[in-house]
Amino acid sequence: MKLGSFEVKLEKRVSLPGWEATLISLLAILVALVVFSYIFVRAGVDPLTGYKEIFSYAFMSSFGLPLTINRFIFLLLCTYAFIIPIRAGLWNIGMAGQLYAGALSAFAVAFAFGAKTSQNAVLPPGLVIPLMIAAAILGGAVVGAIAGFLKGRFNTNEIVVTMMLNFITYWIVARLIKEGGLFMGASGEGDGFKIPESIYAPLVKNVPFTVFIALGLAMLLYFLFAKTKIGYQIKAYGKSPSAAKYAGISPYKIPLLVFIMGGLIAGLAGYHYFAAVPGVYKITKNYGDFGDLAFYGIICGLISQGDALAAIPIALLFGGLTNGGRFAQGKLKLGFGIDYALLGVLMITLVAFQFFYRYKIVVVRTKKETSDVGIHS
Amino acid sequence: MWEFIVRSLDASTIFTIAALSELLGQRSGVLNVGVEGVMLFGATIGFMVAQTTGSYLLGFLAGIAIGGLIGLLHGFFSITLGSDQVVNGMGIWILGFGLTTYIGYPYTGPLGMERIPNVIGLSPFFFIGVALIIIAWFVLTKTSLGLRIRSVGENPSVAEVSGINVTRTRYLSVITSGMLMGFAGAIYSLDYNPVWSNDFLMGWGFIALALVFFSMWNPYILLGGSILFGTLWQLSLNPQLVLPDLMSRYIWRTVPFTITVGALMLMSTEWFRARWGAAKPEALGQPYIKD
Repeated sequence: MKLGSFEVKLEKRVSLPGWEATLISLLAILVALVVFSYIFVRAGVDPLTGYKEIFSYAFMSSFGLPLTINRFIFLLLCTYAFIIPIRAGLWNIGMAGQLYAGALSAFAVAFAFGAKTSQNAVLPPGLVIPLMIAAAILGGAVVGAIAGFLKGRFNTNEIVVTMMLNFITYWIVARLIKEGGLFMGASGEGDGFKIPESIYAPLVKNVPFTVFIALGLAMLLYFLFAKTKIGYQIKAYGKSPSAAKYAGISPYKIPLLVFIMGGLIAGLAGYHYFAAVPGVYKITKNYGDFGDLAFYGIICGLISQGDALAAIPIALLFGGLTNGGRFAQGKLKLGFGIDYALLGVLMITLVAFQFFYRYKIVVVRTKKETSDVGIHS
Repeated sequence: MWEFIVRSLDASTIFTIAALSELLGQRSGVLNVGVEGVMLFGATIGFMVAQTTGSYLLGFLAGIAIGGLIGLLHGFFSITLGSDQVVNGMGIWILGFGLTTYIGYPYTGPLGMERIPNVIGLSPFFFIGVALIIIAWFVLTKTSLGLRIRSVGENPSVAEVSGINVTRTRYLSVITSGMLMGFAGAIYSLDYNPVWSNDFLMGWGFIALALVFFSMWNPYILLGGSILFGTLWQLSLNPQLVLPDLMSRYIWRTVPFTITVGALMLMSTEWFRARWGAAKPEALGQPYIKD
């Protein structure tokens, strides 16, 4: 394309420097937010006012901020559940199923200690809480392992399998918390049973301690990918599974491993939201909404380009946006589901922008005088 | 029992058309994992237009049109930009899932129109579905257009050299494919279950995607698979009609998904591949960039 004496060309990238990747990601988010402001316009709200409402509720208000942080922890864990397999070139869209399994397993432990029968039971938190966490990890890992095993052993399409597992576990949760299920709550409103106060997860300044697990995982994953052999093997498998095989990397082991790791982190997300967030402490009847929210993990993972540390600010931003969005939707009468709409707009913008990870726009000055001579072809 | 069979065939119709659309795109080498998203668009827009205008015809046309548009978008990302088709498909699914939840919400509830009349007890779309299968088989195997579609799906460089316009053929397939997906979604929301609620598909599109793998890219096997899964799906919704008191109704809902995983696993085994030799399009999922 020519513009005066300049020519705009697309050029294939040989490499993508970190700062440019960051710039593209930020630009994608910005474009998505601009596109998204149509929703405010439609409702007759000035977009700047709309975003101000969202951000001030999400990050500045004493009601909104703790909710944002809880969502941030949840999203960060879901992001890691997605990032580890995607590093190996595999799509884990089964965070929802893995987190349901994690939550069920954690509540199974509480159930085993008699938490369902007595709301006031005094249970030893030092024993029950670690067991609940261990169970959540195990539950998520088992569901993840199914997809990983099938991929590694039979090369079964992991997208279909993880999605199927989402639906399977979704209905298993319904079976257990509804209509006389084992984990049904006393209220009869479709929620699961509530755990007694003695095994509420410890809070640090009103924030569940799971925040330390999530941030610890950030460090751990950063280290794993940057410094360890296994991190290297995952990456090599992601570049080319067949080439990795010749480098002595087991094509069975890697898919299984990354899905177990992803699944166990998603299991933790399940523990976090249903057993550690203040005011919840039960598998709520709208548990499916949290399964849906888990899909933000895909977006955070794609924007952060699989970087565990870069995922932190992104998860915080989206935790705030979804939380503030829910608030603004009520206050500004925007209609239900603006967090869902944002999810869609962000995702498709990112898809469009992935082009720029591979190509760059180059502006060259066309030198008329030299080309006239005919030296340059 | 008759009622159960009829409902099953109605359900099969949606699987048939959705899976056939995916098959068509895949035969030209373009994978769209976002079938569910396109169906959600077709279903929601079709529902909104039909309810607003009171016309089924306009509803279906709107569903088909939005499907075609989304197909075009997928084509633009996958063919023109040459981006990763899995990423694009996921994008389309999440876009559909997110956006339809928002725009359809004010329309929550029943369609409130007189039902589409049956043809000898069956939904007219069942016959359309079977006809589409026959047409697709005929076009793909007996016509030069079909040969072009298959060759750009197998080996685009060779196709290009022999004078076939790869880009145009792929666009044609992907847009037609999107229109059919939108149509399948509109059949769901206007005929099969004319009530709008958010994210109502709950996996139809993903099972349709799996059905394409099961069909080994053959329209007739696809029809058989769709009838099987339509029946299974209907059974999972109304188990009391056939097998009362066997399992909780929630556990019944897991059955189609569990069987999908099982069948997919079986199909991926060495034994199955050696025995049946799946005819997967060689260039499936690979962008074609002219040098």
